[in-house]
This record gives sequence, structure tokens and C-alpha cells, in this order.
Amino acid sequence: MTNVRTHVLVCTGGGCIASGALEVSAALREQIERHGLLEEIKIIESGCLGPCAVGPVAAVYPDGVFYQNLRPDDAAEIVEEHLLKGRVVERLVRKAPAGETVPGLHEIDFFQKQVKIVLRNCGVIDPQRIEEYIARDGYQALAKVLAEMTPEQVIDQMKKSGLRGRGGAGFSTGLKWSFTRKAAGDVKYILCNGDEGDPGAFMDRSVLEGDPHSVIEGMAIAAFAIGAHQGYAYIRAEYPLAVERFNKALVQAREYGLLGKDIMGSGFDFDIEVRMGSGAFVCGEETALMTSIEGNRGEPRPRPPFPANKGLWGKPSCLNNVETFANVPVIILKGAEWYASFGTEKSKGTKVFALAGAVNNTGLVEVPVGLPLGEIIYDIGGGIPGGKKFKAVQMGGPSGGCIPKEYLNTPVDYESLSELGAIMGSGGMIVMDDDTCMVDVARFFLDFCQDESCGKCPPCRVGTKRMLEIVTRICEGQGQEGDVERLIELGNVVRDASLCGLGQTAPNPVLSTIRYFRDEYDAHIREKRCPAGVCSALVRAPCQTACPAGVDIPGYVSLIGEKRYAEALALHRERNPFASVCARVCFHTCEDKCRRAGLDEAVSIRGLKRFMAEQEVTVQLPEIRDSEENAQRKIAVIGAGPAGLSCAYFLARLGYRPKVFEAEPRAGGMLVQAIPAYRLPREELAREIRMIERLGVTIETNAKLGRDFTLQSLRDQGYDAVFLGVGAPLGSKLGIPGENADGVADALRFLREYNVRGSVEVGKQVVVIGGGNAAVDAARTALRLGAETVTILYRRTRAEMPAYAEEIDEAEHEGVRLATLVAPLEIVTKDGRVAGVKCRHMALGEFDRSGRRRPVAKDDEDFVVSADQVIAAIGQALGSDEIFNGTKVKLNRSGFIAADPLTGQTSVEWLFAGGDAVLGPWSVVAAIGAGEKAAVGIDKYLTGAEHAFWRTERRPDTEFDPEADPVQYPRAKIHTIPVTKRKHNFQEVELSWSEAVARREARRCLRCDFRPAEDKACGEEI
Amino acid sequence: MTQRITNPRDLKALQEKVKSEIDLRSGPKDLRITVHMGTCGIAAGARDILTALMHELGAAKVENVSLQQTGCAGLCDQEPMLTLTDKAGGSFRYGRLDKNKVGEIVRDHVLRGQPVLEYLIKA
Amino acid sequence: MSDDGIVKCACGEEASEEELLARLDTVLKDYRDKPGALIPVLQIAQGLFGYLPESALKRIALGLDKSYSEVAGVVSFYSFFSTVPRGKHLVRVCLGTACYVRGGKRVLDALKQKLKVDVGETTPDRVFTLEVARCFGACGLAPAIMIDEEVHHRVKPSRIELVLSKYRNGNGDAPVERSAKR
Repeated sequence: MTNVRTHVLVCTGGGCIASGALEVSAALREQIERHGLLEEIKIIESGCLGPCAVGPVAAVYPDGVFYQNLRPDDAAEIVEEHLLKGRVVERLVRKAPAGETVPGLHEIDFFQKQVKIVLRNCGVIDPQRIEEYIARDGYQALAKVLAEMTPEQVIDQMKKSGLRGRGGAGFSTGLKWSFTRKAAGDVKYILCNGDEGDPGAFMDRSVLEGDPHSVIEGMAIAAFAIGAHQGYAYIRAEYPLAVERFNKALVQAREYGLLGKDIMGSGFDFDIEVRMGSGAFVCGEETALMTSIEGNRGEPRPRPPFPANKGLWGKPSCLNNVETFANVPVIILKGAEWYASFGTEKSKGTKVFALAGAVNNTGLVEVPVGLPLGEIIYDIGGGIPGGKKFKAVQMGGPSGGCIPKEYLNTPVDYESLSELGAIMGSGGMIVMDDDTCMVDVARFFLDFCQDESCGKCPPCRVGTKRMLEIVTRICEGQGQEGDVERLIELGNVVRDASLCGLGQTAPNPVLSTIRYFRDEYDAHIREKRCPAGVCSALVRAPCQTACPAGVDIPGYVSLIGEKRYAEALALHRERNPFASVCARVCFHTCEDKCRRAGLDEAVSIRGLKRFMAEQEVTVQLPEIRDSEENAQRKIAVIGAGPAGLSCAYFLARLGYRPKVFEAEPRAGGMLVQAIPAYRLPREELAREIRMIERLGVTIETNAKLGRDFTLQSLRDQGYDAVFLGVGAPLGSKLGIPGENADGVADALRFLREYNVRGSVEVGKQVVVIGGGNAAVDAARTALRLGAETVTILYRRTRAEMPAYAEEIDEAEHEGVRLATLVAPLEIVTKDGRVAGVKCRHMALGEFDRSGRRRPVAKDDEDFVVSADQVIAAIGQALGSDEIFNGTKVKLNRSGFIAADPLTGQTSVEWLFAGGDAVLGPWSVVAAIGAGEKAAVGIDKYLTGAEHAFWRTERRPDTEFDPEADPVQYPRAKIHTIPVTKRKHNFQEVELSWSEAVARREARRCLRCDFRPAEDKACGEEI
Repeated sequence: MTQRITNPRDLKALQEKVKSEIDLRSGPKDLRITVHMGTCGIAAGARDILTALMHELGAAKVENVSLQQTGCAGLCDQEPMLTLTDKAGGSFRYGRLDKNKVGEIVRDHVLRGQPVLEYLIKA
Repeated sequence: MSDDGIVKCACGEEASEEELLARLDTVLKDYRDKPGALIPVLQIAQGLFGYLPESALKRIALGLDKSYSEVAGVVSFYSFFSTVPRGKHLVRVCLGTACYVRGGKRVLDALKQKLKVDVGETTPDRVFTLEVARCFGACGLAPAIMIDEEVHHRVKPSRIELVLSKYRNGNGDAPVERSAKR
């Protein structure tokens, strides 16, 4: 076995793969093999190396050379020149911007943006050997203070450094010391708060365990400054290792004479005693901590008098936390100016944060104060695991608050955080993804504070209890209208009237979650739904909760497992008539929440649905409850898309005879106009529309609102209620020069013309602008209609494209080119026709309000992508003038119709709306769900009662053994027809499964819906 | 036994002394392996890693390696982990270790100077 | 070690209550003149007895010259102190935020089911006492549980038995090894 002399790391992060890293890697391998170097040079396809914007990138080690913008043709040169002859290929070398280090083996992103002051020795020295601390300048600061400085000079340095208490409140350390110094009295105490009680914060533990001497030295310097000779370190009993190591460090320091009498011959005496906490959170509060050291119940007392004057045993005392003390020696040695050079105007230095929760790199990070929140979470923390979405970060523990994605660009400093209703606190940073329920989080913290309230003052004791009762009620589905207002009111009282910090801040988590996640509270209270799928009383199975139509997924999946296909389909259509349609086009939020993903991968619910739908021979009609009265009532549904047809379907099941008006010659809305036949065969759609018609629904095509009739004319004809499901049919304008040239089309019109009218003009070189599903559909349709090249331009990265990932993958397989981080500037025209698109490269900049990085133009040169057709797919709008024609209907902030999410009712009482017309371009299944809700809402409006019999949940009668281990099959793949067989036609791309595969997949379901016969608690084990 | 420090000069002298001792220990040809033994590391099995290292180094009769303990490096997610510092001052962090991985690291990196790239912590 | 204020549990050594009270007296003698001695003494006493029996509390009140009600008041304030006997092993489930977010509650439910006790209770065989705690600072490896002084990280409900079996010490139950992936 020969030794590998060189490693080539080819970045195969998402960005680089998108720009062709795999091809580069293959080319390199081929060249290396050609030169017979396989034995000595090893190619490693590594994780993201960082600068995705210049990908594909590769690094050569041990040389430490970093190449960028690689193409497969470069491989030969790199191998011949660099790897064979040792000559670096200069033209490809990355010229790093100032401050950027070459990523490599020695440095990883996690450490790059960090500045280690507090953690300077943690993870570097052996904490159990004082000599190692001394070797790294340990106790030099104490020596300097004792030999060269007066207490006043020390305090002055601390003030100048701008160090603020790291325990949470952020009070100036220098000022605190000077108050204690000035207080009258011979005996003074220096106290170290190591009662790190905020759940999710563990920086103090880490310092006490990893570098105890830095705290001891800091305390000694502080003692000298304030004139104390005795110190106490109060450390949580939950940290036995920290207590052990700190004690050991004390013993060693005493042996060297660095604690005790006459330290280093200066005449200064000082020693420290450890006191262990006993499990009371309130003891982290300074007055409570002192009463606890005194040996009493650790109850806080009102201030003033402040501890600086009357503290421990009534003597002037100064309390700082572990992290604050650990900063002190460095400030003394390197100077206040040096320290103040980190951080912001008002908040100097660095802060340690404990990153935990739903983030890839959990652990401790130390960064200059003021770094944007998003950089900590994404650049250092590595982002959110498992492809989940960032939802919020909880900062400051039970006293803090949640910060949602809109504020990822916020600099993390004391002032900015408190503006957002959070606090710096001790530095706990708990990242939450969309699997976290914010109401449950609020309940968790309230429960915590309620439990830890010492009970001395009633606002805290009683107030938090009342709040907890309300929040618990909400989580259990018993919430009432007005509960949120009651919480806010109570919260304000508790905050204003409590004695100590614990009570004053206890309402924060509730108030801040209400501030940013009011919609989640509303969903719990009004819909009895927990969107995150957490609150067990509201969640039968997380997949079902995630389904906008509320389909009983475990029910039909288990029926498939028992070959009871007709029953399965009937169960599906209880809540969603479009089983076959959704089997093809649904974006399956159910699978995102599937608990099986915790074991291996989610159940392929959509695949199962496809199989199930294919087993249907003759269409079975669902249960209908006939009603003479309802049949007499006239209801109009405008728009035969998924929302309108779903509304009509459920109305018909209640005995109504709704009439559907459709502007186009064919019913189906976006399903027929925009979604190409290769994704959704037309006969499948037609079959399910026919089923709806057979329930007594009439569809009139070529009847356009605003042209053939108006809302008012419907009222005049005696319609009792109207449902508006008109979608968002207008394409948004690009807003760049040249967009009116010949050859520029909008995606919806392009797709509609082909899908409804049968033909559309297609260019040879087509450029599609946008990253949504309409863009991908248009691109793949253009390719099938004979375009030679199709390029999608998108200004962000692939990961941020709103289109479904599987659709993007298939588009690329078929030959669609994807150019990301590219923004169009101008349509280049020649003689009034499109000749190309002038573009600029973008880079990802700051975080914007959508929680994504904002693309910013790079200052390199513009370039032109030549094209003879440009299809714009950058957004859709309602076109409200035409629709309303004088009827006054309220719109929401995005310019769509404002409607009650529960009933679809608009500001006009007889007018209901749902689907894209309300939500903006969204999903088929959301439109179906909205149609159902509006049907129930219309019925309630007309009859005064709810009759949605299909909403009653039934226990499936399928077999399930809760004791058995989950079956071990991996997730079944959905196969597709070969690219060559589909590139030039509209044959359906995806294939169905065999019965054996489907039944096996069905049995992978963990049956989260299962409840033991009498016990309501769920016994699932994952 | 310990010499008491009675003035700042003593401290400087001690620092010089321990510094050179530490330098001597990780002299020009030597490697230093540090196992991160904070609460998180220990909970993740750092003690077993330390034992395995001592065993592997002993079995291979390696003498130019110093083995040390230290605290948490902040990357709890990667625990148990170790840092290997080589003669050139390069430090290599290995994460999510187990006994087998330790064996490979000793065999390849310590004995042959080939870092085991698969186990290096990458962001 | 006792210099460091750390007291190792006396479980395993069979000492009579009289002997233990005698040891407590020695401790009291050492601490009598220290300011704020009550809590450290209680911590040591709990280490000796495994819990804080009334006899010990009375002895402490006497030894430190405090009223029994003051001592009892302090004991009831801090969650670490227990006045009822505890099992040989103290199992504490972290319900700190990070653990909670990563499924600490499910771990607790599994433990309750497995041990057939509720929080604060001890198994009939006196082997385990189940309690909840707030954050051991092992958030990076959530969810965590702490058994005696040992922290176990990334605990999964399905692996609970495996963890417990290490502490059972030939208590009859053989560990059930399961091949849980990841």
C-alpha cells in the first residue's frame, strides 16, 4: 500500500453540485487515472467548503491551494501542471476577499467567525493542571495588578473596556466594581454566579470545567479592585464535574500561593470558597443567591438596598457571573482598548452563546457582540438539520423571547435584542424549526417559571399560574376567544408588579410568541389545530395535521396495507375529492412531518396514494345527505379550479346543487391550464371532475366573471351565496427594460395557451425567469415543444427555489439548464424582438425578512444570455378590478382577497373565497382544503349550523400491533420513465408501483394515530 | 513540594519553565493528542476514547506522542472528539469517534502521517 | 475528596442510622463556626443518608443552633433535598429547553412506563427514583438524562432499557439489545 501524497477535496455542497462539481470530480478522477496517479492522489468529495458562489471549488492538500469556478476541461491542466509538476494553475486560484481564509483541514467554518477570549483556553489546555494555565499567561494579569496597579486603575480599565455583565442584565462591570469599592465597610465580598440556571445555556459550565483558573484569576483581580478578601463561587449542583474541577483548581492555586495570604508578596490576601446550589432556579437572581449562601431559603429581596452596599451578610458585595470573570485577565493583559475594539458602539467585546436545538453544529460559540443572528445560526451553526425550515430562535431562556425569521439580520447585542422582545440573557440560543409549536414553547417556559417561582410575591406566584392555566387550556384544545388578550393583560400585570427578575421577565416568552406567532395561537383556539403537530390533544397524527385538507392518512395507508383499496379511496375522498390528482401533483406536507423520518425516511405517502387511485375501476360516489331545503338554495361557485370544485363537492354532499362558472373552455383551473399533462394526465383530472358533476354540480364553461356576469348580477338572479375561487391568474411584470418586446411571454399565459388551446409559439433558445413551479413547468413544456436550449434564471440559490425539489431534479435530467444567483437587468432586443437577456451575477448578502439571504449584485461585468424567447414566471396577481366590478371587498396585505381562514367568508357576508385568490399562488391541496372550509362556512351562513358530517373522526378498523418493532424496509422509490422516452412528448413521467411494493410501503407507517383501547396516551416509540 | 510563588518574577520564571517543559514534551518530532473531556464529551464516551487511545498507542509502541485531556471545544455535537497537533503546528480535529475510528487514526495519522480525512470535522 | 465539599453517596455501605448520625455529628462539629453552614451540611447529610430523615434534620437544627422549622423550611425550598427515601440510583430527565425541543418529554414518558412510577417516586425495589431536572448543560447532545452523576446523551425512548440495565446490577432483568438505527 503506497502512501497517499496529495488529497484533492472537491466541494460537493449543494451549490457546487448545481454548478457541476460532480462532473469536475469525475474529470479529475479520469485525468488522475490517465496519469497513473490513483495510488498517490486521492479525491475526496467533501461537504460544503464555503464559497458556493464561485463553485465548483476544490482544495488541494497539503499544498493548501484553493481553486474556483472549475469546469471539467480544467481537470487536465490541474492534474498535469499542479499534481504532476507541482505548478499551481494560477488562473483558477481563488483570490479570497480580505479576511477570508482558505477552508481546509485545519480550519472549519465553525471556528472561522469566532473570536475566542472567554474560551481562549477551553478545549486547549488540561484544566486539571495549573501549569498549563500558567504557560499560557495565566495569573500574569493578577501579578500585574498586584505589582503595578491601584484598585482605581483596575476599575478604570474595566470601565474603558466596556465589559458588561454577561449574566444577562448587561450592567457595566466597571461601574459595579466602583460602587462596591466606594461602599463603606471593612469587610466586602466578591461573588461568582455559577448558578447557570437558564435551560439551554451551558457556557459557564464549559468555562468552569475547561478553564477554572481564568475564573479564579478574574475573581482575585475583582477582589483586589473592590477591596474584598473572601470570595464565594456559587455553582449549580447539576454540574458535579465543574464543582470538582473548580475545587481542584483552588487547591492548586493555594499551593502556588496564588490564593491565600500575601499573594505574590503583595500583602494582598484573598481566598475563595465553593458553595453548591441545591436546585432552585431563583437562586440565579443576585439577592436570592446571597440569601442562599447565607444558608436560608433562596428568596429574593427587594432592592434597594443594592448588594454593592448591603449584600452578603449585610456587607458590600459584588456579584459577577463566570463568563464576566473569565474576561477580566485578558482585558488587564491586553488592555481595555484592545477589548473595546471588538463589538459594537454600546456593547463591547465578545459573547459566548450556547447553540442548541434544531441546528447542525450544536455547541458553544464565541463571537464579537453585534454579529447578525443569521450568521451565528447559519455560518457557524451550519443551519437547520434535516431540510427543515428555520422558525425562530429562543434567546435568554425563560426570561427571554423568541425571534422569528424576519429578524435574522439583527445584530446580536443588548439593545437590538430587547427591541425585539428578547434579551441577551446568559447566552442560550435555542434554534427551533417548523416542528416546534410556539404555544407549547410558551407553555413550557411558563411551567418552568411557575415551578421555580419562590412564591414570595403574589403577582408572580398567582399570575404565572393563571397564565399557565390559560396556555395549557389552549394547548389542550379548550382555548376560547379572548384568551390571547387575557394573556397579554395578565402578562403586563405580572411584569410590572413582581418583586424580582424572575417574575418580571416570566411573561416574556408568552408575550413574544404572541407578538410573532399570533396565528399559531389562533389556529389552536379557533381551528383546534396545532400547525406544528406537537400538542397531543390536537394532533391525531402529524401527517394528518400537516395536510391542509385534513385527510385521514394513517387510515387510508393502513387500509392499503390490508388490500382494502376501495375503502381507502373512499376514506380519502371524505376530505379530498381529488385523490388521483393529488397523487400526481401534491407537494405532500404530510411527508415532511412523518415521524418515520426519525427512524429512516418518511413514508412515501404520495406514492401510496398513486397506487390506491389506480386501483379504482368505476368511480364510487361519496356519502350524500339529501336536503330538500338546501337543494332549493342557489349557490354560485366562480372558477372551476381545485378550490371551487372542492367547495362544490362538499356543498353537494350537504344536499346543495351549486352551479360552477368557468371562464375557460375547460374545467380544472390551474390543474388543466398550468400543470402540464406529463405531470397530470388529463383523463385522471376529467374522471374526478365527472365524479363531482355526478353529485349534482353543474359546470358552465366560457362564463367569465366581469365579462359575462358580475357579482351583483348573480345576486340579482337570486343567488344566496357566492364562492370566489378565481385563483391568481395574472402574471406579474418583470419591471425591466425591453419586457414588451416580441417574444416575451408570461409563464401562465404560455402554459394556458398550450394546455387549453393546444398550441403555443416556442423559441429555439428559451430563457425562463423565476424559480417557482410555473417556471419549471414552463421550462419543461418548452423543451417538449422543441426548444433547443432552455435556461432557468433565478436570482437566489437552488435551495431557495420555491418549486418542488423533485420537479427541479427532473427538469435538469431532461436537459433544462439552471443558472442560479443570476438576475436579469434588461431584455436585449433586436428589431423589436428578443435577442437575449442581460444579466448580472448575484451573491448572497444579508438576511431579509423572509429569513433568506438577500441576493445582492456583484460588481463584476454584466453578461448576456442569448435567447429568442423569454418566459417570465416571477409572480402572480389577482386582477381585482375585473372581479369585483364595484362590489366592495376587502383585500389583504398582499393584494389578495381577505377571507376568514376558518370559513372563507369575506368582508361581504354572502361572498366567500378560497385558494390562490386568497393565499396567492400556493398549492393544490391548500385550495382543496379552503374549498371544504368555505362549503362548511356557506352552509353555516345559510342554515345557522355546522353539518360537516365528514369531519367526524373514526377509528380505523385495521390491524395494528403496537408492541411489534417497525418493519425494516427502506422507503420505496417512485420510478420515472427514461428521459429519452419523455423529452419530446407529454407522456406521464412517474410510474406507479406494483401491489407488493405498495403494500410493503404501507406497512412502514408507524401508525401515530394509534391509541390503546382505553388509554388515551399515545404509546408510540420512535 | 510545590514552590510557592512569592513575587511576580517567580511567576514569570515558572511560566518559562512550564512552557519549555510543554515544548519539550511536544518536541519537533512529536504529536500531541488532546481528548476533549467536558461533561458533554464524557457523556458521549470520551473516557472510552481515551482508554482506546492509550491501548492503541501502547500496542503500537508509539513513544513520540503526548496524550492530554482538555475541556469542551464548543462543538458538542461532534463529541467525543480529539485534537491532534502535529510538528508543523497544524491541528486536526476528529469528531464523533468510536474505538474503531481511534484505531484507524493511530494507524494512519500517528504512524504514517496520513490524516484520516473521513473522520475530520467538516462544517 | 471531602475537602472539596463533594460527598459521595454512601449507598452500598450498610451503616446503621446510629452510625450515620454519629458521622453527621463530626460534620456538624467542623461546620459549626462556618458562616452559612446549613446548606452545605444538608448536602452532606443527604449524601450520607441518601435522603434527609427527620432524625437527621433534628440533629442538624440542634448542632447549628437553629430552629427545626427553619431547617425544614430550607429543605422544602430546594428541589435537591428529599425527605423521603430514594432509590439506589437517581434518574433525572432533563426537561430544559433544548432537551424539550428534542423530545425530552417522550423520554420521560418512556421512563415512567418502563419504571412504572411517576415523577418523584421510587420503584418498589428501591433501585430507581425518577425525577425531572432543568438543564445539565448538555444541551449540545439533547435529549439528556442524568443517572446519579453520569450524563447520558441523545437518549431515545426505545433505548431506555439499555441505559437502565447498566444500573440494575443483576437485578434479574437482562438488557434487551436492539438494533436501533442512528
